[in-house]
Amino acid sequence: MNNMQMKPLSGKELDYIADSLSNENMLIKLCATARSVSANAQISQIIDQHLQVHEQHTHQMIEMLKQHQQMAPTQSH
Amino acid sequence: MMNQQQNQSQGQQMMNESDYLNVILSDLKRTVREYTTATTESACPVVRRMFTDLTNSTLQLQGELFQVMEQNKMYTAPSPAPRQMIDKEIQTAQQDHQQAHQMSQQHGMQSGAFYHQSNVPNHTSNVQNPYLT
Repeated sequence: MNNMQMKPLSGKELDYIADSLSNENMLIKLCATARSVSANAQISQIIDQHLQVHEQHTHQMIEMLKQHQQMAPTQSH
Repeated sequence: MMNQQQNQSQGQQMMNESDYLNVILSDLKRTVREYTTATTESACPVVRRMFTDLTNSTLQLQGELFQVMEQNKMYTAPSPAPRQMIDKEIQTAQQDHQQAHQMSQQHGMQSGAFYHQSNVPNHTSNVQNPYLT
């Protein structure tokens, strides 16, 4: 995948990742709640699949943060 | 604190499955919009690629959920647009496009919309630069 040149993470990109991680977290909670009140087998199955995807999204973003850790400048106080 | 039974017997209901799914559907739509914005504002190409994937993946989830909700009659179908409105839009769109297309054809040629053939000779200066020897 990495033919592309990785650049240090900008403040804006970090903010977007942080917001997106919150979004995914909320969707996981909403799915879990919907699942707990669901009596419909088809819907329960779909929700389970969605839960897996949201988990994947979360891990993907955390991995992206880790990949950018080395390139990030350290602040001097 | 009232329990579920009391709520139902008095006609009050806690949120049901359909309510939660509607909330999830709205949230997925909002998340897709935010992923799209994040994609366009990414400077690092690897980050941009990630957000593109996240946008597409979330769009797929939203589509699937919408379909399932429709099948289970949890979503009110919107009423179709009347024929006259569609006809009018086609007419307007074609007119507007024609104008834009004509402008694009003229651009770059000497007969372009903003090209003006000069009708006066170039001005020659009648003062000398005092700073030049």
